[in-house]
Amino acid sequence: MQIVVSAVVLMLVLGGVIGLLLGIAGDKLYVKQDTRVEDVLAMLPGYNCGGCGNPGCVGMAEKLVHNEIGIDACRPCKADMKEAIQKYLDEHAD
Amino acid sequence: MNLFTMFISAMLINNIILTKFLGLCPFMGVSTKVGPALGMGAAVLFVITGASIFSWLLYTYVLVPMGLEYMELICFILLIAAFVQFTEMFIKKKSPKLYQQLGIYLPLITTNCAVLYVAQDNITQGYNLIETIVNSIGVSAGFMLMLFIFSTIRERLRGNDVPKAFQGNPIAFIIAAIMAVAFSSLAGLV
Repeated sequence: MQIVVSAVVLMLVLGGVIGLLLGIAGDKLYVKQDTRVEDVLAMLPGYNCGGCGNPGCVGMAEKLVHNEIGIDACRPCKADMKEAIQKYLDEHAD
Repeated sequence: MNLFTMFISAMLINNIILTKFLGLCPFMGVSTKVGPALGMGAAVLFVITGASIFSWLLYTYVLVPMGLEYMELICFILLIAAFVQFTEMFIKKKSPKLYQQLGIYLPLITTNCAVLYVAQDNITQGYNLIETIVNSIGVSAGFMLMLFIFSTIRERLRGNDVPKAFQGNPIAFIIAAIMAVAFSSLAGLV
């Protein structure tokens, strides 16, 4: 019984310490980002399949926002999702 | 075994990619250009060295006294994940371009089996802290070196006329196999 308790306590302490350190680091190393990239990223399928030629969906979202690539390059994207993303991009153009 | 022999052995003779076939995911994924390949190598070097030192300290000073050696796997994974998260934040802040080039492969260092292998190998081999550091740097320097060599070959390959069936990853795997054969000749060095 005691070993189970100590294992649980260890994981709690370790998780807490690491979480705290990462929280501080995240605050110190915060980068202001284009909010549109996050919005577009949320609308993409998020499979990170690489079918569009970018390293992951984040790269795709950034190129979409800067008009460097068309939404048709995303293969797993359904037609209605593509429409929604295109609408968002048109509304929030530079 | 002295430390220099250990370093050379970890870097070249027991190279993690070519003799143990660990860490093949970034080896294939980010080796198309020299720049990102070196960036990836540096990120992995930082993560392996840092995670190994902290894993060793955690194992020796926390897990062993508490009699919780069987928890090493889950604790090491937690440490590695945290380290990669930190590396990601750091690169995002300091070099957005590299962050973009590495893309999804940066958070995927978490699942790079080479990192966990080094952390556990240091424990099972019974290394002390200095040996742990030397071994970790040696292994990750070997990883970086292979990634660099491989990316230069792949860059050179781009202009060549590769048969259609071998274009892309198939030819890369064949090159990796030939490299493994070539580097196996170093086995008698130490």
